[in-house]
Amino acid sequence: MRPLAGPAMLLVMVGGYLIYHLASKEDAPPREFTDLEFAGADAGHTGSCYSFGTVLFAHRARNKAARTWTSPREDAWMLTLEDVVQGYTGPQSIFQKFTFEKHGDQIRLVSVDASEKISTDLKANIDDLLEGPHDLDSTPVERCQQDGAAGYDFKPSKR
Amino acid sequence: MRVLLLLATLLALCAPLTGCKRSLSTRDVNEFIDRADDAARKGFAPDICALRGKNFTLNIDFQGHEESYGPTKIEMNRKLFCQEAGKFAKVQIYNLERKSIDISLAPDRKTAVVKAEYEETMPYFEPDVMPSSPHDFRDWQVVKTRDESVVGIEGGDLVFLSTRGDAVQSLLSRKDNPVPFK
Repeated sequence: MRPLAGPAMLLVMVGGYLIYHLASKEDAPPREFTDLEFAGADAGHTGSCYSFGTVLFAHRARNKAARTWTSPREDAWMLTLEDVVQGYTGPQSIFQKFTFEKHGDQIRLVSVDASEKISTDLKANIDDLLEGPHDLDSTPVERCQQDGAAGYDFKPSKR
Repeated sequence: MRVLLLLATLLALCAPLTGCKRSLSTRDVNEFIDRADDAARKGFAPDICALRGKNFTLNIDFQGHEESYGPTKIEMNRKLFCQEAGKFAKVQIYNLERKSIDISLAPDRKTAVVKAEYEETMPYFEPDVMPSSPHDFRDWQVVKTRDESVVGIEGGDLVFLSTRGDAVQSLLSRKDNPVPFK
């Protein structure tokens, strides 16, 4: 009997930890999704030269809003940003909802919903999302690390 | 025998849970509100955040000092609330006074509705103006809030499940009122 007490306790503890760990983990797009190249705002969806993960990382450095990820359907992820801004009329809640979809080996921004007075124009939002990696001179995807590589609004680093 | 041993192990591991709260009393809720007010006065975000349930929501209609504009709406879930609580750490001068409290326990004593009135006083920093220090301000803002919170039990502890209320902001000149509270 005694030899079983230890393993039984261990089983309960490991089980409890796993249940807690799985229940408390927040949703987020997987690596296979974030590793893909983010598409530009032109009609041909030219690649931006930055992976979706790089775009998100750079955006997070500039935008401190609370983030929540949900997956509305297969191969699509919605990012909700929520914040409180101070105005002359008092504090006010604002939100932005970006829906990203996988198309082949690209991630495209397919829709934007937002609070009043915040642009929902796709091109403006894609350009805004790409400002982060441009300003930070982030590392481009492999195909854009060669001389003469082209991408949507992409200027190769002088490093 | 093995089954008994396993049961004993499970019971031992679950023993701490027997101390968990299962029903509320007015005194419990009163103590909880005192604790929440103290946490707000200290401005330490993890403590403020820990008193909110996992599905906590906050809805406030905020009437700014410019009365010609209508009230703005503040809606927050727990994640945003906790993030905002972190920003609150920047407020170095803060006074919170509870003016009234009314507690109604639900018949099953699992939740309670707390109606309370507060007056908060803190520096007013104009939007789009970068202060050179936390003491670089001209006016105090006094925010009078009337709120209604639902308090319940989560994981054996009392937490706020939701809060909704109305807040009215007014400004007081710092020159005329160097310190507008005791």
